[in-house]
Amino acid sequence: MKITQIAGFLGCGKTTLLLRLSKKLSDGGKRKVALIVNEIGEIPVDGKIIEESGLRVKDIGGGCICCEIASTFAKTIYNLYKDFHPEHILVEPTGVAVPHQVKLAARMSGRDAKISIGPAVVLFDATRPAELLDMDMLGQLVTSQVKDADVLAISKVDIVSEDQVQEAIERVRQYNPTAEIIQLSSFKEWGVDRIIEIILDWKE
Amino acid sequence: MADQQDQEKGCYTEHGVSGYGVAVKLTRPEAMNDQAIKKMAEAMMLAIAQKCMDRGARTIGHIKSHIRTEAGTLKADTIGLPHGAYSSGSLEYPVKDLYLAVNSIISGIVENEVKGATLEGIHEVAEGQGFTVAKEKEHAYFDQFDFTTSKQEYVRQLEEMLKE
Repeated sequence: MKITQIAGFLGCGKTTLLLRLSKKLSDGGKRKVALIVNEIGEIPVDGKIIEESGLRVKDIGGGCICCEIASTFAKTIYNLYKDFHPEHILVEPTGVAVPHQVKLAARMSGRDAKISIGPAVVLFDATRPAELLDMDMLGQLVTSQVKDADVLAISKVDIVSEDQVQEAIERVRQYNPTAEIIQLSSFKEWGVDRIIEIILDWKE
Repeated sequence: MADQQDQEKGCYTEHGVSGYGVAVKLTRPEAMNDQAIKKMAEAMMLAIAQKCMDRGARTIGHIKSHIRTEAGTLKADTIGLPHGAYSSGSLEYPVKDLYLAVNSIISGIVENEVKGATLEGIHEVAEGQGFTVAKEKEHAYFDQFDFTTSKQEYVRQLEEMLKE
């Protein structure tokens, strides 16, 4: 059971990508895929939206799975392993979660469930690089997310210019020189197949 | 399985991020169609964003809404004033009652300020369109619905969620 997180700051398009990935990854039901969605605002709006698309999803509300409710996250993974036996779990952490802490929290479930940790796919919003990186405290958070990425997906590339895409790539490259960078548009399905390939091929 | 003591505060609080969520029932004497409701929801998202910025927010993480009705579901969101608001979904017919959940995640102001901005934005925009905020509940979950049930039962479930 491979656990892959789709991380990135609020509003960067995680839920939209999750919808695309889960449908493609399940490949018409050939693979069992479960989703875990976490929100900190106490109202799990994203989970409801995904459910209405006909997918099975576990909502975790009331806190952040990378810290406040890490044990709840681990228990949710274990329960999915026990009851549903998915081959893949796609996790959408809150937009303020730190990917390496999400990985640590997921590993807690490895005491009781046979798991492997997939890549941390971190989305970076091409429409607002300066807004995200140049703020004092917020910039530190977004920088941490970028540094933790195994795959960096520059999102919403269909609605910005090529220069803006390059600016976003240059900005994130400064913080993470090794992650594969993908230009992503979930609406146009650009980059989605490459992310699927990476998830399927990923070895810890 | 082994348990672990959770921390009291989320990591996000260290970065000045606060979240607030609320569920409300909006009602008006005349039914409204989906295009008008979506326009109102977009205006609501932007009004909440503006009020957060007026209170000293540095940036909008996201403000998302989910509107359930007996005739279908709509949603609207924004990631900040310069980015505008976006809405989607459709209704089978115009409705008088809306069950609205709003989730605001904001950087730079405390939760109580996010709460104030969110509630003011909801009331101001909804009341401007002739809606009354009939019920309001913090930290409620529009959860565990049976989508295959009758419309009457669907509405009963929504009402149940908003009970104190």
